[in-house]
Amino acid sequence: MGRLLLIVTALLFLCVFLVLPLLVVFAQALAKGFEVYYLAILAPMAWAAVKLTLLVAAIAVPLNLIFGVAAAWAIAKFNFRGKSALITLIDLPFAVSPVIAGMIFILVFGTHGWFGGYLRAHHIRVVFAVPGIVLATMFVTFPFIARELIPVMQSQGKDDEETALSLGATGWQTFWRVTLPNIRWGLLYGVLLCNARAMGEFGAVSVVAGHIRGVTNTMPLHVEILYNEYNYTAAFAVASLLALLALLTLAGKSILEWRQPELRHAVRRPRDRTRRAYS
Amino acid sequence: MSIALRGVTKQFGQYAAVENIDLDVPTGALMALLGRSGSGKTTLLRIIGGLETPDQGQVLFDGQDATLWPIGDRKVGFVFQQYALFRHMTVFENVAFGLKVKRRGERPSAPAIRTKVQELLALVQLSWAHDRYPAQLSGGQRQRVALARAMAIDPKVLLLDEPFGALDSQVRHELRRWLRRLHDELHFTSIIVTHDQQEAIEVADTVVLLNQGKIEQVGIPDEIYDLPRSAFVHRFLGQVNELPVLLRDGRAYIGPIDISAAAEVQTGSARNIALIRPHEIEVGQASAGWPATVLAVRVIGPIVRLDLCADDRPIHEPLEAEISRERFEAERFTIGQRVGMRFRRWQVYPAAA
Repeated sequence: MGRLLLIVTALLFLCVFLVLPLLVVFAQALAKGFEVYYLAILAPMAWAAVKLTLLVAAIAVPLNLIFGVAAAWAIAKFNFRGKSALITLIDLPFAVSPVIAGMIFILVFGTHGWFGGYLRAHHIRVVFAVPGIVLATMFVTFPFIARELIPVMQSQGKDDEETALSLGATGWQTFWRVTLPNIRWGLLYGVLLCNARAMGEFGAVSVVAGHIRGVTNTMPLHVEILYNEYNYTAAFAVASLLALLALLTLAGKSILEWRQPELRHAVRRPRDRTRRAYS
Repeated sequence: MSIALRGVTKQFGQYAAVENIDLDVPTGALMALLGRSGSGKTTLLRIIGGLETPDQGQVLFDGQDATLWPIGDRKVGFVFQQYALFRHMTVFENVAFGLKVKRRGERPSAPAIRTKVQELLALVQLSWAHDRYPAQLSGGQRQRVALARAMAIDPKVLLLDEPFGALDSQVRHELRRWLRRLHDELHFTSIIVTHDQQEAIEVADTVVLLNQGKIEQVGIPDEIYDLPRSAFVHRFLGQVNELPVLLRDGRAYIGPIDISAAAEVQTGSARNIALIRPHEIEVGQASAGWPATVLAVRVIGPIVRLDLCADDRPIHEPLEAEISRERFEAERFTIGQRVGMRFRRWQVYPAAA
């Protein structure tokens, strides 16, 4: 009886707070029929927002991939002074409000910021342009990959790498042939999460982007503008695209977990025990 | 290849992992580095293998200074306790790894690699497993794959870090004997790190006992067991009974037993203790020796262990004696029985201050 109550409560909560809003998004988007939906999505401004969002994700995610792997590697495989400070720093974007993250970049790269004069003199636009959006997105999404990899790498230890080196492999060979295959599932998972967040980021991007339609409007910003103009159908249409991207990401994650059941549990357990259970 | 360590010191922060170690490993030796965790044995192994750089001192390979050689140039085969097999590769690919990563000029052709890997798998009796993944093998099998992989690069030295530590005792025993045979056939120099004194004594031809980053004693297994140079070594290598040595009127006693005749006791004012192994205690009729009461009897296969409370000794500190099953069958000691103890051997050390 108690169990049933718990399950019903959880399901009800999920429905009201997660499923219902999602349904509303799609229902609203399609409220005036498919034609209006298509027109809203294919409107030049909307389409520009989609392209910008994909571009930003395409730049920010690979860069965070490289930084994330490097940071996780350093933390998991080496001991050095300031290691705990580095771990705290990686978590900083989780702790700081995205709006503040955006403000930081305005402060540094804005017209009156530290590098403002230099940048203007060289005709480089960072704030209110694509570079600023990419920077803000990277800042906000930085922890996802590193956070995902650190426990994986820590649980795996250094034995594999040391063995590869003792067998005569170079550093690169060790990374490509031993380390990367060992972390590939965790890495993919981190990339998916990072990508989802990169496409959906609103706060930080909103501050640095300056809301220039068709130029610096990403999808979340575009949704907001449409909404503020009482253009609900168009707003929900673009929102539904964003929601669709999120759902695809979740589906991808589920497929990963289904293909590699150890992904979620193996991470925190000594590997041999899970391995044996797995075989 | 012979290995020599000269004055090797390694600190981790304030903590000295190994301190001023001198050690010679002759070509073809199978040496065991024995010690508790934290004794510095693994650090020493990692310094020899090039996974750590010593703060001071030199590592010599065949007389050449190899202290700063990169790991890949040392031609050492490593075997770890947790096997460290590449789990996304098959057994074949694991063993072939060291050959495939060689520079283009030195890399053997694909058929040559295949032949070599098959030879090695035959050597470790795992030919049937070449397309299995590590996850599909038992612990003992995985460790044999790890060994084959290490041997693929024709190492001059094999370094084994607690290689059998994760295996159950049956498999462990088999693998030890198998390693010993393999070593005798192939004659490479091997160093094995272990915390298990039985393993060290069983498998190695030289045992190095480490304590707090320093060498306590080096010797062949019999010697280190029979002639321990310190109470620490004596205690480490097996069960011991500890009894105070009493000095009265210029004579030395263990309990009522006069040991002055053995004449190894300095009859100075220093406090001494005698260490006696359980099998060195002879148990007989109550009329002879140090009278005692049998507190417990445990039959363990071929041996029988008796807990004995000697007269004048506290009851919660019984002595442990081991006698053969045959002797036990003849005497039939029972709990509560009065017996007499005599000591076949003992060693006297100054008591720690």
